[in-house]
Order: sequence, then structure tokens, then C-alpha cells
Amino acid sequence: MRWRRGYLRVVRSSFATVPFYRELWALGGHTDPVLLPGKAAVDGGAVVPSALTGRVGDLVPLAGGPADIDPWRGLGPVLAEHLAVTAGALVAVVDPTTPRPPVDLPEGVRSCVLDPAGLGGAYAGVFDEVANHLRRGERVVAVGGDKDLDQLAAALPELLAHRLTRAPVRAPDDLPSPVGPVALIAHPLLGVLGALGGCGRWHLDHCRVYLRATSAGAAYTLLRQRSPRLVDVIAGSGRPGLCPRHGTPVVEP
Amino acid sequence: MTLTARVHDPRADDEPSGWAEFGARCGLHAVWDYGLMRLEAWMSRNPAVLGVVRDGDRIAAAATVLICRPWWRKPRYASTPTTRTACGWPRWAEVYTPWLSGYPAVVFDPDLTDDGRRAAVRAFERAVLRHVGPGLMGITYSPVYADTVSVLNRPLCRTWRNDPTTVLPNEWSTEDDWLATLSKARRTSIRRYARKIDRDPTLEVREGWGRTDTDPHELATLINRHRARLGGLPRDPRTAVAGAFLAELLRRKDVRLLTYRDADGTLLAANTLLDHPSSIVLQHWAALAPAEGGRHNLYFDCYLRCVRHLISAGRDELTSGRGLVDVKTSLGFRERELHTVAVPRLAVGAR
Repeated sequence: MRWRRGYLRVVRSSFATVPFYRELWALGGHTDPVLLPGKAAVDGGAVVPSALTGRVGDLVPLAGGPADIDPWRGLGPVLAEHLAVTAGALVAVVDPTTPRPPVDLPEGVRSCVLDPAGLGGAYAGVFDEVANHLRRGERVVAVGGDKDLDQLAAALPELLAHRLTRAPVRAPDDLPSPVGPVALIAHPLLGVLGALGGCGRWHLDHCRVYLRATSAGAAYTLLRQRSPRLVDVIAGSGRPGLCPRHGTPVVEP
Repeated sequence: MTLTARVHDPRADDEPSGWAEFGARCGLHAVWDYGLMRLEAWMSRNPAVLGVVRDGDRIAAAATVLICRPWWRKPRYASTPTTRTACGWPRWAEVYTPWLSGYPAVVFDPDLTDDGRRAAVRAFERAVLRHVGPGLMGITYSPVYADTVSVLNRPLCRTWRNDPTTVLPNEWSTEDDWLATLSKARRTSIRRYARKIDRDPTLEVREGWGRTDTDPHELATLINRHRARLGGLPRDPRTAVAGAFLAELLRRKDVRLLTYRDADGTLLAANTLLDHPSSIVLQHWAALAPAEGGRHNLYFDCYLRCVRHLISAGRDELTSGRGLVDVKTSLGFRERELHTVAVPRLAVGAR
């Protein structure tokens, strides 16, 4: 119920203060919650990511705020909860498109960004530092796509590659494919949404992410990001469920 | 004469009967379209409602009123309309058209006498008071023409002059006749800019009525950026321009959109022109600053194209709002006096 209340608060606040949602829901309607009785909302008022292209400025509330999309938003809390990443660890984001390292890692956790194509070139220094970290027996968590992580592991000596903790990333529409035992759900617009739990289910980062099913697919809402506001963004076809072991929200592929 | 007044909230109420006929009779511009007012009201912090005064079945007067929340409160869009609109929160009403800063927002039937107008104003103000409730702090009429001030003014009210609006009366039969009345330096520069723009292969200039080939959100972003760069008015009751509103406005056959684009498709500048049988309006002008990749002197090319339409269509005048009066004067524009009348709560609805 608390999870649901947080979502209702974000929807109402977005309707009252964010130009994009004001326009979308005042003219098109929103169901669950119903904002304007009598308006038949398309897809329950959810929005496909392509509709947000070029409109990020309209996702900023009237009072102002940042307009930057962080593709690794939420990485820190998810790693802390599911991989017990604590002070002293190094998080290496292996992503050719990421311009900046994640900003919400736990206190004392260091991070770096690696382009797998540039491990012998521009990123050689960073790569050496990652290898040194592993040699010292310190923990390194590599986050990225399967192919990118394979490239990083192939570049490391075999002994060090075994010490690397790999956290491959899955898109919300790619959850049914085999994976495990460690994996994250991430979306270029919404950031990191959850991770594979010890029970083998896709756990949502429910303190920060809400999920509801719409006719167009799974609609995700960021509960704590004030700007740019991302509410009911359709990604993948999962349905919300409850983990029987942990009693917390999960995505059922 | 029995006058009755009612406030219509375009978000919740149907179009008043006889509204289109009243608009045609009084020569109202496109922005008075009820559908456009509905979009504007939804996308506003201070929603515009329509006050309508009737003499029997016939509309005798109308006014666009912004119901304003105090500016010190957290910025948010207006609450969703409910059946109970009146409340005790402090609010005031501004009789103002957010899209035409140089035109009065109160319009009377041309047949209405001065006494009839005064009675209509009283009926209208009482309707606003009923709509807003005990929290109404007062009503301002801004702007109004000099000849309307006497109709609105009464004891306790305060009146003052505003910045004037600018008007170019059509006194020519050709574009060259207009250019001949300008100073030599201005005439030469306008011709030079026009030639340069025509010959520039990296600049795409498109103009047309009822255009749907431009992304309204791209245009809204440019207009809002332009406004932000110039600095907003103190306690501006308007909200940022919304793409949904522009999408509907630009689709109209009496609205012309002029766009200037770079070779890579970047929108450099844009202008909207509202056509009208007598008084056409140069409504929006927005451009990228040269430091952001914008071009110099597109502003004068835009004016040349607007004057071209004024003369070729045989309209009476072109208005271009307030601000930059010196530049507009150099283009032949004249000043038209505008006033504000502030009616405190105690005088609302009083004789």
C-alpha cells in the first residue's frame, strides 16, 4: 500500500507541475488513478520512450530542476542490496556509450567507466587500475552488456578474470532469456530498475521504482526522481508480481 | 435591458451559445476560439476563464479573465475544475489575453452604449466574484484603450498608463511605397538583409497558412527559450507556451507560420502572424541568439514579410505588441496608448 501511495503522489504531482504530463493527461486522460473522469486514456496514460525524444525539457517541473537523463540512475542502491557492494569495492561500468560514471554509489565505493573497444588505447590506464585492484584482492564489480563484459574478461589475465564479479545488464524486454545468478534490469532512459534476487526472480528496486501493467506493456515510474520526471514509461512486457519468498514486488516476465 | 453574466471555464463548460456569432460581430482574433482557450486553460498556472454578459439571449460583452494565484506560492498548474469553484484562498482576477498583449481582453458589442457598457461591467464583475469566492482581492483590466477607461473607472479604482503597443497603419499600395517612407539607412539595410537571406543556400525560409509541417513542441521550446533569455515580466501571470496549444493554433487557416532553418534543420527563428479582416497581428517572434548559432537580422526580414502581407491583403493595420518601440518606430510603427484599471475588492461590482 505504501508503494502504491508513493505512485499516486508522483502521478498527482506530475499532473500539477510537469508540462509533459499535464499536456498528456489533461488532453488524453489517465486511468488508475483516474485524473479526469470521462476521459478514455490510451494505454492508461502511459507513454512510450520514443514520445519523450526531444521533450526532456518538458519533463522538468515548473519550479525548475536538472534535465539530464542518467542511464545508470539507481545503480548504487541496487548493487548495495543485491550484491552487498560496500566501501572499498570498485564498480567498473563497461559501456561504450556512457559519458559519466554512476553518481549514487554507496559511500566509499569507487567507480570508473570503460569502453571495451579502447582497453588497449584511451582506457589503458583505467584498465590497468582495474587489474591492479583485482591483484590486490579487492572486489571489482563489472556492470555492462554481456558482450562488453566478455571483452573485459578476455583482456584480463585468466586468474584475475575469475575474481571479477560480473553484473550483466538486461533490458526490461529481455527478461525471459536465461540469465544468472547475478543480473540487473536497466533501461537507457529509466536507469537501473532492479536485479535478479537470490530467489531467481526479478526484484524491483521498489523504494525508487513503481511498476504497473498497461495494455501496451509494463509501465515504470521513478518514485524519487524529481527532475526530469519519468512516470509510466512503457518498457518491456513484464507484469508486476509479489515474491513469495521475500514479499517484495517483482517483475514477472 | 436585462443583463445576466456567467463565467465559463473552458476546461469544464461547453462553448457559450452564440459565441461564434459574437466573435464575428466584434471581429475577435483567432486566440478567442473557445477550443484554443480550453487548451490554454489546461496548460496554465492561472487559467483563463471566459466571462460572458448577455442581454436576453444575445451576448453583449465578453472578457478573458485569468484567475491568478499569489506569485509567491510554489509554481503549479491550476487545480482541476470542480463544481465548486469559489473558495477563500487569496486570488485576484486579471482581465488579460495571454496571447495578445496589445489588445484589450474585454470586448463589448459595438451597439452597446456607454451606460450599457458600465452595466455590463458591473454584471461581469459580480459573476467573477461569485466564481472566485470571498478570496477575490480585486480585478485588473490590463490593457484597455483610452476610450474604455471611463467605462471601467469609478471611485476607489486606480488607473495608469502602460507601455504603448505599436501599430502600423496601412497607407500604401506597394511594398516599395512603405520602404520609401523609412529612413535611407533603414531602407537600405532592409533591402540588403532580404537579398542576403534570399541568396543564402544554408538558410531555409518557409512561410504558410495552416502549416502542419513543423513540430509544435520544437517551436514552443524556441519561444520559451527566447522569452527566458529576454527575462520575464515581474509577476507575469502567463505560463510557458505549450506545444499542444501551438499545434492547434498553427493548424488554423488564419494563422501564418514563418520559419528560418539552418542547413542541418535547426530552427533558427520563427514568427506567427494572425490574420484578421482589419487588424493583423505579428504575434510571436522567437530566435536563437547569435551565440547559440542564430543569425543576425532575421527580425527585419520577418517584418518585411508581414508588411508585404498587410499591403497585398489590403488590411487596415499591423500590430506588433509592446517592447522594442525604437526599432519598430524606425519601421514606421506608431504608438497606441494603453491603460490599466485596477479595481479593488470593495469596488468590484459597484457603480
